[in-house]
Amino acid sequence: MSFTTTARRLLAGFAALSLGAVALAGCAPATTEAGTGNIDPATTSGTVRILMEDVPDTDIVMSLLPAFNEVYADVDVQIEKLPYDQMKDKLVASFQSPEPAYDLIVIDNSWVNDFVAAGFIQPMDAQIDAVADYDAGDFFSSLTEITKVDGVRYGVPFYNYALGYIYNTDMVSEDQVPTSLDELVTLSASLTEPDRAGLAMQPQTGYKIMEEWTNFLYSAGGSIYGADGKANLNTPEAKAALEAYIELYNNSAPKNSLNWAFDDAFRSVSSGGAAAMVSYNWNLAALNQPDSGPYAGKFKLAVMPGGKSALGSWTWALPVNSAAPDAAWAFTAWLTSKEVDVQRVILGGAAIRESSMTDPAVLSEGFGADYYAAVTEILANAAPLTQGLMGDEMITAVGEALNAAVSGTMSVDDALAQANEAINTIQSR
Amino acid sequence: MQFKNAMMTPLLAVMAVAVGFPLLYSFWLGFTSYQLVSGGVTDFVGLDNYIRVLTDREYWVSMSATASYVMLSVAFELIIGLTIALALQSQKWFKNFTRSFLLAPMFITPIAVGLMFRFFLNDQLGAIPHYLDQVGLSYDFFGAGRALITLAFIDVWQWTPFMVLLLLAGLESIPKQPLEAARVDGANRFYIFRRVTLPMLSPILIVAILLRGLDALKVFEYVYATTRGGPGIETKTIQYLTYQTGISYFRLSEASAMAFILLVIVMGVIVLLFRRLERVNIR
Repeated sequence: MSFTTTARRLLAGFAALSLGAVALAGCAPATTEAGTGNIDPATTSGTVRILMEDVPDTDIVMSLLPAFNEVYADVDVQIEKLPYDQMKDKLVASFQSPEPAYDLIVIDNSWVNDFVAAGFIQPMDAQIDAVADYDAGDFFSSLTEITKVDGVRYGVPFYNYALGYIYNTDMVSEDQVPTSLDELVTLSASLTEPDRAGLAMQPQTGYKIMEEWTNFLYSAGGSIYGADGKANLNTPEAKAALEAYIELYNNSAPKNSLNWAFDDAFRSVSSGGAAAMVSYNWNLAALNQPDSGPYAGKFKLAVMPGGKSALGSWTWALPVNSAAPDAAWAFTAWLTSKEVDVQRVILGGAAIRESSMTDPAVLSEGFGADYYAAVTEILANAAPLTQGLMGDEMITAVGEALNAAVSGTMSVDDALAQANEAINTIQSR
Repeated sequence: MQFKNAMMTPLLAVMAVAVGFPLLYSFWLGFTSYQLVSGGVTDFVGLDNYIRVLTDREYWVSMSATASYVMLSVAFELIIGLTIALALQSQKWFKNFTRSFLLAPMFITPIAVGLMFRFFLNDQLGAIPHYLDQVGLSYDFFGAGRALITLAFIDVWQWTPFMVLLLLAGLESIPKQPLEAARVDGANRFYIFRRVTLPMLSPILIVAILLRGLDALKVFEYVYATTRGGPGIETKTIQYLTYQTGISYFRLSEASAMAFILLVIVMGVIVLLFRRLERVNIR
C-alpha cells in the first residue's frame, strides 16, 4: 500500500468521522422527564444535583440541608457552586449532553425566555398547583411574573436582587433621603468632599451600568420598552436619566471609577469612602455585619427616588432532562414553603414571599422592621431590565452605549439612539 | 508504504482528531445558523455569517483595538526586553538570581495578573493612584483613551521577561569574531550594536515579535478582569468579542466566522514575516 493511498483513506475516514460528528451534534437529545408530582416524604427518594451561584444566599440554602433531610431522609442534595460568569455557560453545555448533569437549577431572570425557547426547562404549573398549602400567591408578583412565559410558570422564585438606595446614617439623615432624581443629584453633590464621594457608582460598561442606570430611568418616569414591546430609550425621560447619571458620575462619584462594578462600590461605601450607593437591597445585611467595616450597623435601605426599582431575580427551575424531577421539586417546594422561607430570611436570605416580611420571627430576629418594610415597598414596584429573548445581549449592548456616554466619547443623544437601535436589532433577530 | 512514512501515521491520526476535527467542525459551523440555545435546529446559511461579521462595525472596532494593543505591547516589550537583555549579557555577578527574578511575572496566570492590576490601579485601594495622589496627580487608568494603553502595559509587565529570555539567548549565541573585528577596526559600541549585533540578531527578533504578537493577539483575561471591553467598546478585543458572541450569546456560528476571518488575516501576516525571515537567512 502506497503512502498516498493510506493518506487518502485516512482523510476519507476523517471526513466521515467529521460528518458523523456534525450530524450527531445537531441532535443532542434532551429527553423530557416531567415526574409524577409526588413529593410525599415517605416515598420520595433520589439524588438532586444542583448548580448554584457562589453567593451568600446559596450558603444559606446549604445550611438548611440538614433540616431538609430530617423531613426527606432519602433525598440526597448535592450543590455545586460557580461564579456568576461561568454559570450560564455550564448550564447550556449541560443541556447539550445526552446524560443529565443537573436535576435542579437556578436561573437568572434574563435567561428565562431563552431557556424556555430552547426547551431546556419544563413548565411547573402542575407541580406548583399540586402542593397543598404552598400558597404560590404569596410570592411577590413582580418575581412570579419573571418565571412566566406566555402565562405558564417555569419555576418558583429563589431570591430577588432588586435595587434600592443604601446610605450611611452617619452621613445621610433619614429626612435627607432623596425622593426624586433631582434631589439625588443635589444631595450626592452636597455630600461629596475631597475624601468622600456622595454616591459610589457602578458605571462599568455592559451589565453593571445598565443595571444601575435603569433605576435612574424609572425615577425619571421612563421605561425600557414601550407599550408595543419595542425599545423606548429615545425619549426625554431617558435623556434626563442619562444626563443625571453623568452629572452624578462627574460630580459625586469616586474619582476615576469608570470601570467600577458592584463590588468596588460596595467596598467604597463600607469603608466610608462614599456616603451611599444604589445597590441590591440585601447588601444592607452584608454592610451591617459587625466585621464588615468601620461603619457596620450604620447603613439603611430606602426605595429609589421615584419609587420604582430595577429588578433582578433568580428562579428555581427543573431541567427537562432532570434525572430526579420529583426529588428536585420536593426540595424546591420544601425550601420555598412559608415555614422554611421564614428561617431562610432570618438567616439573611433575600425576600421572595410577602408573608415572610411581616412574620414576627423575621421582624424580631432579622435585620430590622424598617428594612423589611423597605424591601416590601421596593418589590411592590420593580421591573426587570429585559423582556423576551436574548436578554443578556440586549443588556450588554445598551450598557455599552451608556458607558460610552458617561466616558464622554459619545453624546447622550447618540448613545440613546444607539441603545434604542440595538434593542430593536436584537428583537428582530 | 515506506517505513518512514508509516511511522508518521499515528501522528497524523492524532493531529486529525485533536486539531483537524475541531478546526473543520468550527469551519462548518460558520456556514450554519447553529446556536447553542436553538434546540438543535440548524440551517445552512452559506456566507451569511461572514457577510454579517465583515459588515459589522463592532467587529472592525474590535479588530482595530486588538491591532493597537498588539503593536503597542510588542513594541514596548521589544525595546525594554532588548535593553534588559543587553544589560544582562554583560552582568558579572548574581546572574542566575537576576534572571530567575526577572522571569517571575511570566509564571502568574494572566487572569490573576488582570485582577491584581484592577486593584493595584483602583483609585480608592491601589498603591499607584495613592502615590500619584501624594504628588498631586490624578490619572484614570481605565478612562477613555487610556484603558487600552493600560492593558498594553499590563501585557508589557507580564511578558517582557519572555522577550528578555529569547533575546538574551540570541545575543549569547552571536559569534564573537565579527564583534571583535569591528572593535579592532575602531567602531564604537553604538555602531557595533547597530551594524553588527542587530543584523545578526534579526532572525531571533522576528521570531520573538511573531511569538509575542500571536500571543498578544489572544488577549482576553486582562479585558475580562478589568474593563469588560469599556469604556464603551474601546477595549473590546477580538477575542473578547468572539467570546461574547459565541459563549455569552451562544451564536457559535457567527463566532466561528469571526475566528476564521481573524485566522486568515493572522496567517497572511505570518506568511509575510516568514518570507522576511527567509530573506534574512539567505543574506
